[in-house]
Amino acid sequence: MSYLSTIDFFEDKDFIDKYQYTLRTGELDLSWMNAATEKVQCEPQNARRGLTFRDCDVGSYGFTDMPELIRQNRSFAPRGAEIPAGVPDLQAEVNRKSEVWAYNIEGYYEEAMSRQWNATTDVPWEELRKYELPEAIGKAYSQLLTFLTEVEMIATDVPAKWMGRLNADFFEVKNFIATQAMDEARHAEVFRKRALTTGWGLMRASKANECNLKFLRDADSFAEASLTLHLQAEGMVLTLFRFSELISPTEVDKKMFRLVMQDEARHVGYGMQHLKWVLDHFPERREIIHRHLDEAENFVFGGGYATEVLEPFIILSGKGMKKENIEQGLKITAQFNLKQIDEYFERLDKCGLPERRERSKLALAMEMTRAVIAAQ
Amino acid sequence: MKVIFPSLEFFRALQTLMQSERERFKRLGYFDTTFGVRVLDGPRAHQYVLRFEVFECTEVRAVNDLGREAVDFILEGELAAWVEMLRNIRQHGAADVTHSINTLTHLGERMRVVYDDPDGHDKLYRFAESVQEFIDLAAKLEIEFPQRSDTAHAGA
Amino acid sequence: MAYFAEKNFFEDLELIELTQRVFAGDLTLNWYNSPTEKVACTPRDAVRGLTYEDCNVGTYGYGGLPEFVRNNYSMAARGSEIVPGLPDLGYTINRKSDVWSENVAALYEEAKTRRWTPAVDIDWSALKAAPLPADLEAAVSQLCTSLEEISLVMMELPSRWVSAINQEFLELKSYLCAQMIDEARHVEIFRKRALAGGTGLKRASASAEQALKEILFAETYPEASLACNVMLASLILGVFQQSAAISAVDAKIFRLCMQDTARELAYGVGHIRYHLQHQPQRAEYLHDYLDRTEHTFLGIAASPELLEPLIVLAGKGTSKAALADGSQRVRKFLQHTVDAYLERLSAIGLDRRTRSRLPKFVATNAP
Repeated sequence: MSYLSTIDFFEDKDFIDKYQYTLRTGELDLSWMNAATEKVQCEPQNARRGLTFRDCDVGSYGFTDMPELIRQNRSFAPRGAEIPAGVPDLQAEVNRKSEVWAYNIEGYYEEAMSRQWNATTDVPWEELRKYELPEAIGKAYSQLLTFLTEVEMIATDVPAKWMGRLNADFFEVKNFIATQAMDEARHAEVFRKRALTTGWGLMRASKANECNLKFLRDADSFAEASLTLHLQAEGMVLTLFRFSELISPTEVDKKMFRLVMQDEARHVGYGMQHLKWVLDHFPERREIIHRHLDEAENFVFGGGYATEVLEPFIILSGKGMKKENIEQGLKITAQFNLKQIDEYFERLDKCGLPERRERSKLALAMEMTRAVIAAQ
Repeated sequence: MKVIFPSLEFFRALQTLMQSERERFKRLGYFDTTFGVRVLDGPRAHQYVLRFEVFECTEVRAVNDLGREAVDFILEGELAAWVEMLRNIRQHGAADVTHSINTLTHLGERMRVVYDDPDGHDKLYRFAESVQEFIDLAAKLEIEFPQRSDTAHAGA
Repeated sequence: MAYFAEKNFFEDLELIELTQRVFAGDLTLNWYNSPTEKVACTPRDAVRGLTYEDCNVGTYGYGGLPEFVRNNYSMAARGSEIVPGLPDLGYTINRKSDVWSENVAALYEEAKTRRWTPAVDIDWSALKAAPLPADLEAAVSQLCTSLEEISLVMMELPSRWVSAINQEFLELKSYLCAQMIDEARHVEIFRKRALAGGTGLKRASASAEQALKEILFAETYPEASLACNVMLASLILGVFQQSAAISAVDAKIFRLCMQDTARELAYGVGHIRYHLQHQPQRAEYLHDYLDRTEHTFLGIAASPELLEPLIVLAGKGTSKAALADGSQRVRKFLQHTVDAYLERLSAIGLDRRTRSRLPKFVATNAP
């Protein structure tokens, strides 16, 4: 299963002789000095922003002029470098730009690198001493946090699974994937840590959501994986974070949700810009996208079985378990559900898939939710 | 602020300066290491233990024998090498490329990194920027060096 | 390859009824009395913050992780209540000593605090203000081209494994994410350095890439970690140490990169140490792996695209005298780097000082 270099460097006489001669005599080949590459001097266009990948989008080094199909480079050679004979084949499975690319991918990456906050120190954990949550709120919150810590790292595993399969010329995408992997580890961390500070610890795992994670993990292509992960799943989670900030039991939690929201919005942004790119450049994918969303939405609807997510939300938003609290909580939760689905369709619309709203069976969910609101 | 090098006061002064630049050192991240400094001065050796924890220098001690101390690594060099480095730092505001800790210790020519455990040795690199910026604080000190032939022109 | 749900939920009457009941205020509360451990973790050191070590308690902690994880193949958070019907997410790495290191939680915390941003933490204007002579700048560009290639592989290596590793090893997976972002930063910094210096990139390296592919495509995770996090990282740390004297800008670049790579070394060393403490019979297996694989160290180090720019930079020029001086310095650096690598192996239970073939190729009195 492993790869063996075409050369055994300990045994290859030419290689060893050249190396030893070089070190012994100081006589170098230096042919790389005249490598057939473009001479450039990239500078920061905005000194405060520093030197960005966008500043380096020049000539043969840039991403703008990258062709749709990468035919020349199947190795690790950096884009724009001279590629000598004998470089190995990376076995990249994804060599078509529109499979992975997104408008502004370079911007998302730079933003991610500069906005890496730290769950250990950037959440004011000491201030939690000021708060004592009633049992119902504490438990409901711990259960919500249990769900959140459970699902976050699917967005590490799924993109990471694809990173090595992408052509090396798509390194901006690979780098973005690395930042997302770290973002999600941070999210799993902060929600886990917060649950472990509540006095209740973690609570129940979620079967319905775990099955959804498996669906996200087992997509057939990067485009499908990204569509359901970044746009559908993370889009809905972004709405959840915004509502969670609203219903947060303490100021510390509000800060925590604001921090995670930043990362999530960036991932959703990538997902949207990726879908836009795919539809602009690879329109024949439209029907495949719809079919994939059909099943993704089936899982979303099936999330109704996850009472361990829905019910804590009701209790937190109603601020308790008395009848009047539950009534208030149901109102807010119903609004949240509607907003979640509505924003999902809105994103798809903005990306060039407006017909999804008509086609989707989630309209059934929206109907049921509207009926709940009307009955209240 | 005038201090003599080598002396405990010198390292305490660096410790104080680091405290006053807390935000800068915090930005560099956790700095968790204890290392030794050994200044070889003829038959004598001036030896110090510097402990760093989280974002601060938490302890500075003069010791008789670093070999008996639990340190991750020891930066060791002849007095003249240390003097040259510090004069360079004072002149330029920070060590130039030929006088950084990394360059001076890289192949053990001017200074050496002494250690028992490679894990401890590698902490010099894990916290490389923090170590360098700590030493570079010497730029803010007025330093009195011993008047000797080997130090008189070192780094001048 | 795609996984489908067990049913069409839109036609699932049981689900629709459940949802209607809940939204009528009839909550199930089947999670409310979850029998999990009640804890309230707090930071031991308020300045350090709330670390994973602070949360290493009871059933939640990593200290109590079993050697073989058999009870959980889902992403259910460690210590949470496992319910029937959780799917198998396909993890193939479920043995702690195949991946763990005692220092992994601490290294994850350290990585987070010591992150830096290439775009703004380097004084790019200083490159233009104080350009290097043309031949040295060309050498930097070639060096950075090779380092970009190497960093890409070091980024991809953890990505190949992370989704196969059981989620119970949360702190380890999180550390691998930190390693990925550290190497992404290296891909970025070396590319930007080459493109900002006035020369652009130079030549990729067939020999280095062949060697790198052999490392990347290692058959098992312990092998991959040994090759990348100990062997390759030892070489790269040495290259960074060697390169930090080029210019003030490069000194900062390479010092910051050194930090990241030394952390990877700390994990690699800790991982193999832990692996051999718990699977001592694997020592000969790993020796055999290194017998076959150490040639890749030479394949990378001795590739002209890496070796020659290091010589030019060490000698500070391309005159005959400079190259002669540079080649002696690089020879010394290679010996020093191999010595440090073998020392690390020895400290973790893989003494190869007499077994490894590398020393003979880097001895300063070699032919």
